[in-house]
Amino acid sequence: MGVRNRLSAILAALLVLACAIFPAPVRAQESLPPIEITSAAKAQPIAVSALKNLGGDDSHQVSATFVKVLMRDLTLSSFFRIVDPASYIEDAQNSGFDIGQFNFADWSSIGADFLVKGTVTRDGDKISVEALLFDVPQQRRMMGKKFSGDPHDVGEMARRFADAILLNATGTRGPFDSKLAFVSTRGGRFKEIYTSWLDGGGLFRVTDNPTINLFPAFDRSVTHLLYLSYKTYTPILYLVDLGNQTEVPINPGLGQAVGGALTPDGQIIGAFERAGSTNLYLLTQGGNLVRSLTDNHAINVGPSVCADGGQFAFTSDRSGTPQIYTESLDGGDAHRITYKGDYNTAPAFSPDCKKIAYESRQSGFQIYVINSDGTGARQLTQSGSNQGPAWSPDGRYIAFSSNRGGGSRIYLMRARDGYVIAPLTEGQGNESNPAWSWWMGG
Amino acid sequence: MSRIQRGRGGWVVEAGGFARTLAIAMVIAGLALAGCSSKKNANEGSQLNPSPNGMGEGGLNGTGGPQYANGSLGGNGAGGPLSDIHFDLNEATIQPQDNSVLKANADWLTAHPNTRVQIEGHCDDRGSEEYNIALGAKRAQAAKDYLTTLGIDGGRMSTISYGKELPLCTDETEDCWAQNRRDHFAVAQ
Repeated sequence: MGVRNRLSAILAALLVLACAIFPAPVRAQESLPPIEITSAAKAQPIAVSALKNLGGDDSHQVSATFVKVLMRDLTLSSFFRIVDPASYIEDAQNSGFDIGQFNFADWSSIGADFLVKGTVTRDGDKISVEALLFDVPQQRRMMGKKFSGDPHDVGEMARRFADAILLNATGTRGPFDSKLAFVSTRGGRFKEIYTSWLDGGGLFRVTDNPTINLFPAFDRSVTHLLYLSYKTYTPILYLVDLGNQTEVPINPGLGQAVGGALTPDGQIIGAFERAGSTNLYLLTQGGNLVRSLTDNHAINVGPSVCADGGQFAFTSDRSGTPQIYTESLDGGDAHRITYKGDYNTAPAFSPDCKKIAYESRQSGFQIYVINSDGTGARQLTQSGSNQGPAWSPDGRYIAFSSNRGGGSRIYLMRARDGYVIAPLTEGQGNESNPAWSWWMGG
Repeated sequence: MSRIQRGRGGWVVEAGGFARTLAIAMVIAGLALAGCSSKKNANEGSQLNPSPNGMGEGGLNGTGGPQYANGSLGGNGAGGPLSDIHFDLNEATIQPQDNSVLKANADWLTAHPNTRVQIEGHCDDRGSEEYNIALGAKRAQAAKDYLTTLGIDGGRMSTISYGKELPLCTDETEDCWAQNRRDHFAVAQ
């Protein structure tokens, strides 16, 4: 052991000590990354009134957080545009909040088709929020929800209410009560893994090692995250328990880890390389081999499991070029899905298992969507190089990384037409490998 | 109808309608507490974000090139007693012009029998990340197989792929891409 390595070991020991002495600070008020979002064409005008303080929120902090997150999420949905709060006639604190207690004309006159009102009650750390959605032209209450929790839960209350508004207005629950995981170099030169709410709130740094960390993947219950790290200077998969923030290495002795994914029930599909061939294996949550999924001398990587747990998609170059295949998790034959283009990779199954998004290399990459039977391939992105598609749990959106604005950054687009809604990250450093969780609330 | 779900810092209780009784809330609070305590007991595995251990099994130090923290990640193309070899786009086949390079590397290893070598496979930045890690592994294995046929003991050689993560250069030019599609041979005593 050289002097430098001995010094490293001492430094490492000191750092561990430092971590024990200075535990992670408790997260402060919900902050969202500063992002410009242009409202989509045909977006419906919605007014989001401040929450009426029924006691305990005299500083209006709870209201401000709830309104800020709700406005961000409704705008990101592309279904709504926020009517400028500066134009609101009614004072939320001096008017009623339910039907018959306020004047719809105050809202129709400023062009709002939808209106959110509500109340907040705070007793120490116990917060209750009641939120209501109104149809302004029809002067009727569409929906109401009650939430309670502590101050850290206010953002999540807003995200759930955003999802409920989309359910009422579009017939499908919104995707905002869900997490994004991604790789970012924002902390310096190294690729580290972060999670946040889809809207960027609640940023949490999962890895902190000066090496390379890649390919975050959630399980369906959003209790675990799988990723690949070189932190021991050899690539190994790690399974993080997001609840107690611990992790275990997944090392089944099948070769060097290349990547992986989690099945809906928390099993692992790992890609492991041995003697130059990379194959996919189904493993238990503890990392024990269940069965081989591929067994050939080619490259088989990039698994994505569809939400019903029946099938998975992956990339294989068994035909000579990397192409997308599907296969049953029970084993059996692989079916080639893509034939157009000579470099198709990074498949992502849509939540209804009917479509697969993937990246196709031309000059740079573009994101395509194809039916899972191989028909109907459609190019979604046009500008810049675009990679790593990840579907929203409701199937209406795709997150992806793009260099369209310069450095690589995570963006949100509509799956149906490829309309790019907004970047999801600030673009501090380069960001890539987006993973999109299932709904946090089941 | 009520549902409880774990929030970021506690539990969020969501009621489907407006009618909710204190009794239900208390039952929910009890469930929440039970959930919290059982979670703590299930604690296993190592805590996230300890500092990286100083020296892993694969901690062979390269020379020259970009230096990473304590210098234990590879990615170095220049310097060292052994020379890099290069590959065509999306290929892992040893090229004819590299036969003499590998022969020279094998000669050096034969002359220095107490050394070990880690063969690092690298790719240019035009491929997909995960596919490139597998491709880099294939490139490293190709060199290991070749050196084995030249008489080098496989037990002295290990392979690792860095995919496109540790480029030598970042220009969007044919010349730079060609430099990055390489095997680097990192030697340790």
